[in-house]
Amino acid sequence: MNNNRLSTAEQREAFFIALYKKAFPTVARYLARMGGSFEEAQDIFQDTLVIYYEKVVSARAEIIVSEKAYLLGIAKKLWLQRYKTSSRNQSLNDFDIEVLPDEQPSTDKILHYLETAGKKCMELLKAYYYDHLPAGAVTTLFGYSGTHSATVAKYKCLEKVRETVKQNSLNYADFIE
Amino acid sequence: MNNIKTIDDYLLGRMAPGDALLFEANMLLNKELNNDVNHQQSTYAVIRQYSRQKIKDEIITAQKIFANAPQHRALMHRIINLFKKY
Repeated sequence: MNNNRLSTAEQREAFFIALYKKAFPTVARYLARMGGSFEEAQDIFQDTLVIYYEKVVSARAEIIVSEKAYLLGIAKKLWLQRYKTSSRNQSLNDFDIEVLPDEQPSTDKILHYLETAGKKCMELLKAYYYDHLPAGAVTTLFGYSGTHSATVAKYKCLEKVRETVKQNSLNYADFIE
Repeated sequence: MNNIKTIDDYLLGRMAPGDALLFEANMLLNKELNNDVNHQQSTYAVIRQYSRQKIKDEIITAQKIFANAPQHRALMHRIINLFKKY
């Protein structure tokens, strides 16, 4: 999928609503048979969509023939993972489809970072590193004069957040709860 | 911005193999560079965690819009009923 099609919150909203319509009834039926509750079905489907979103915007995006079957597959896997651990509150962060390692920084630390780095910086970094938007789309979305300015801003923000990590003497281990 | 871009290229696999090898050798010799790489990796973890939460918030909003839309009322009713059968 062309990431430009999911570059704004409005576009993503339409995308997610369409997926609810397409696949939530099937996923809910499966989870009801498996003994899950309606609330668990909603929770599983939310996590399913996060994983699916990461898949479609990633650089390694594959052609997915049937979205419904694919989403059901993710939901089944999530459900079985939770069932196997005998705990249904397993975090989404235990489900990895990315090359990047999975971490679960504590909420307090995250909030601290957000206060320090600023919302605009985090949104810019999200656009580049999570949404994988092309530089041109980021430039337009954030109102920069050109792709060079947007790229410079990205590195400045990255430096700002890295400095916070450094000042707090945080390392990889601190991000595992 | 000193080594931010270089480390970014290295960690995201955008560095040529020869350059990556040289960079890894530098990391062994330069403790400060090694620390910067570790901190930058943790920074990506922060970005990812922040972003996942933001996307999940958007999904929850989309779910509410879907569930509360008048044209989906009957469908939602059928879905909720599925959980009463088992």
